[in-house]
Amino acid sequence: MAVDLSMPVLVVDDYQTMIRIIRNLLNQLGFKNIEEAKDGRQALEKLNGGKFGLVISDWNMEPMTGYELLQQVRASDKLKTTPFIMVTAESKTENVIAAKKAGVNNYIVKPFNAETLKGKLKAVLGEF
Amino acid sequence: MAAAEAAQKIRVAMDQLKATGVRERPLVEVLDLSHQMADAMTAFFGSLDRSIIGEFKYLADFIQKARDEISGLQANDIKDTRLPGASVELDAVVRDTERATESIMTEAEKLMSLEPTDLTAYKADVDAAMMRIFEACSFQDLTGQRVTKVISTLRHIEERVTKFASALGVTDTAKSETADEVRARELLLNGPAMNGPSTSQDDIDALFS
Repeated sequence: MAVDLSMPVLVVDDYQTMIRIIRNLLNQLGFKNIEEAKDGRQALEKLNGGKFGLVISDWNMEPMTGYELLQQVRASDKLKTTPFIMVTAESKTENVIAAKKAGVNNYIVKPFNAETLKGKLKAVLGEF
Repeated sequence: MAAAEAAQKIRVAMDQLKATGVRERPLVEVLDLSHQMADAMTAFFGSLDRSIIGEFKYLADFIQKARDEISGLQANDIKDTRLPGASVELDAVVRDTERATESIMTEAEKLMSLEPTDLTAYKADVDAAMMRIFEACSFQDLTGQRVTKVISTLRHIEERVTKFASALGVTDTAKSETADEVRARELLLNGPAMNGPSTSQDDIDALFS
């Protein structure tokens, strides 16, 4: 089944430039419905208030980190099946393992290129 | 004269006075005993003063050395000039970098939205955008100079503090974690690793395959 490119995607990062980079890359790949949040708390509010087909989140944010957001999403009946990709500079193996245990679908280390993002999107969502 | 010896002499003199009865002794003998007591006390307090003076002199020398080292630390210069200066430079680095990134991304987005219907106009627009990107990249020269200044300040502080700690024999004591440090540790907040990611994307991919 083809990926619905009109599905809302939530990009979470406290660094506006990174949101802009991911937004442009997603646009290039055909995703048109992209929303943003500047930290985990704001992201959780948006997720609870809407229906998103994918979350792409940074890890290191305050007051709620991407890891805490992931835990909240997986603990929520409404949100627990939402695909979640972590895009972060936190590259220690223990971080990756912790995120995987918490239920992340894929993990991208910054800095990354368009091909890496595309590959992970395909791995999580399927061909598009 | 040692303190024990002085005390012994005084005790002997007092015993002699008690044994014979002061009222029955000639005044000359009482005065003689008084002199002996006074001599014994003088010798006792003299020896006591010398050892205390030695201790106080050691403390005074240590305090003077500490004052010299603190003065050499130039704490006011660091607090009032160097650290604020470094902070201003780093703020400028962040500001310059953001401004350059904004310019470059704006030009890149314009390029992506260009329609190549008129190739001459398209090339002119691309050339103009590329020139603006080159101009924006000049931030790197300025930020490089600013960061060099900050590094110089940090090295200055490092040298002064190291010399100070070494001169006074300061050792690190165990320190309890702050709430922020506990949160950072528990949430595995490490930030970017030096010299690239500590786990490569390929290794991460293997964990997810």
